[in-house]
Amino acid sequence: MADIYSTAWYEGVRDAMNARVATMTDLPKGVLHIKVEIYGDGISPYIEEDVERNFLIRIADGHCDWYREVDGDDTSVKLDYRFRGPATIFDEIAAGLQDPIDAALHGTVKVRGDMRFLMRQAEHVSVLLDAYAHGVQTTWPLGRPPYAAEHKEALGA
Amino acid sequence: MRNAYDAIVIGAGHNGLTLGAYLARSGLEVLVLERRHEEGGGLCTEELTLAGFLHNVHANYHTFVDLAPPVHDLDVRGHGVEYVRPEVQMASIYDDGTALTIHTDLDKTCASIARFSEQDADTFRRLYSEAHGYVDLLLGTLMYQPPMSVKELTKALATFGVEDRSEFLSVKLRRETINQFLDQHFTNDKVKAHLAFHGAVCAYTNDVPGLAIGFPLLIGKIDNWHLCIGGSHRLAHALWRDLAQHGGVMISDADVRSIVVDRGRAVGVRLVDGTEISARKLVASTVSVEQTFLEFLEPSAVPEELHSRVKNDVKHKDWSLFSVHLAMTALPAYVAAEFDPDVDRAWVVNLGYGSLEELNADFAAVRAGRLPDPKPNAAVNSLYDPTDAPPGCATGLLRQFAPFAIAGGGEGEWESMGRWYGHRCIDAWRKYAPNLTDDVILDWVPYTPLEIAQKLPNMVRGDWMMGEVSLANMLDQRPLPELGQYRTPVEALYMAGSTQHPHGFITFGPAYNALQVIADDLALDAWWRQV
Repeated sequence: MADIYSTAWYEGVRDAMNARVATMTDLPKGVLHIKVEIYGDGISPYIEEDVERNFLIRIADGHCDWYREVDGDDTSVKLDYRFRGPATIFDEIAAGLQDPIDAALHGTVKVRGDMRFLMRQAEHVSVLLDAYAHGVQTTWPLGRPPYAAEHKEALGA
Repeated sequence: MRNAYDAIVIGAGHNGLTLGAYLARSGLEVLVLERRHEEGGGLCTEELTLAGFLHNVHANYHTFVDLAPPVHDLDVRGHGVEYVRPEVQMASIYDDGTALTIHTDLDKTCASIARFSEQDADTFRRLYSEAHGYVDLLLGTLMYQPPMSVKELTKALATFGVEDRSEFLSVKLRRETINQFLDQHFTNDKVKAHLAFHGAVCAYTNDVPGLAIGFPLLIGKIDNWHLCIGGSHRLAHALWRDLAQHGGVMISDADVRSIVVDRGRAVGVRLVDGTEISARKLVASTVSVEQTFLEFLEPSAVPEELHSRVKNDVKHKDWSLFSVHLAMTALPAYVAAEFDPDVDRAWVVNLGYGSLEELNADFAAVRAGRLPDPKPNAAVNSLYDPTDAPPGCATGLLRQFAPFAIAGGGEGEWESMGRWYGHRCIDAWRKYAPNLTDDVILDWVPYTPLEIAQKLPNMVRGDWMMGEVSLANMLDQRPLPELGQYRTPVEALYMAGSTQHPHGFITFGPAYNALQVIADDLALDAWWRQV
């Protein structure tokens, strides 16, 4: 069990990702840096409104090297993908309540980067997303989503 | 003009200028060559009727503004382009005096549709909302990347389970027409006709199998139509400015005779006046595949099979556009404004198509070379651009789906029929806007499919999309599978115009995608790939 947005949780996600890809073949070669930008939306208790928390994930040859919280953009790291969305949506994804593909399709999570590569690696991407959404036993010290319905309505979720 | 550059781009349409500007910003010495007297290609604005009346001869609708990366990367607004997004984007006026309006305000659009069918209004809201959510994702995947194959896309969508998440992204759409899509999801004939008309104006003909796959995307940007203030040519000028500001050169009246090939590699071009200019790194053609491979290259430089396929297998649209450009002293006052006052503020108006059957019949007639009874669409730019006509006056643009070659006489018939058919189109407009009497219309000129091909030879047979828009001619199959990734069998020769994926229209896509391939080949620092 790990608290959401804690080092133990990031490590849990990393391990879950690597456990899931362990048996996969044809993993993409090379290094990818993925930045996740989660902004407070006034609903999630984990990120204050108008505050942004940034996370960087490094994937090497299909495996997750690390997943860590960072301050803003690190210019020494060339980003390959950027995922950006409100905290409640990411909380719900981590709680297995919201499908990350749905979130991207509906534009609640914005995705930037080489979409062709992402499409070609659909199987791998799906596995990594599944690890994020379902791979860690998460504890929610400030309350677990779903949050109050009226709040979700305000988000348009 | 020097005698050597790093990159030579043939054609200064928006794709040629876009590619040139990116390459110039990347540090290359760039030369863009244009056959005509000015840059722009389809971004052509002229005083066709009277002094002070600015007519967009070709491209009028800019539907990818703020969706296409070059708009930002090349800072076209900083170079003077001003766009307006008309509040009432489009309308259909029907023979019974009713009208449907598409607004930038979704609630207003749905209220308008609900007057015909509440169920259809709900469906439209659902479709629009879904499509609007994924429009940038899909554009990033499908339009602003070198294309994947349909097979690859289908596999990825299946893996992501997209079909289960959105009925509008169903893989089966790739076998269906827009008509079928509309029949499955909408009930009211007029609503269906309007949505099909919108697709057709974007060259997605409603009865062509497979085009249903692109229809949700069209709906996702149905309210993103922009007008370039001062005429579409302003965009061309802005792109040229960006090119020039970064050291690139554009030369007009530079008619390319041939692409110089040395040991299988494109090394320069030769102009009609005999001037020879070397290209150290690349030559990019943004004109037609026919010009590029049949005229500019010696047959010995092109594999025989490709030569034959360019000659025989390149697919062009089977309909073109007949236009009438008008100078007027009044805006149209539609009878249908009694039903919906907003039609008088609609930028683009479909005049008369009230059912899919009517559209089907007219496209069948056009394909058979017949001129349909006109049901033109009318655009009045002056509603939203006060600079395009003298004070108190307005421009008008009628466009009618029409054949390139007229049955029995061929395309040459247009020379004698242009004014006659133009009169008929104006009469059709007057039926809905009776105030447009002869004394209101100061002057008008027809612009025929033949003139399209004469003015812009890359629009072969009046094909303003520079290639058929069909599933067989999409993605990596456009214009031919062996040319579908912007490279050609001639080393260092690239195709970067609207013959390539995604297609014509002011998308910037072909140039942007060709740039990705060129950047990979030349190991350029892709400064524009900021995520």
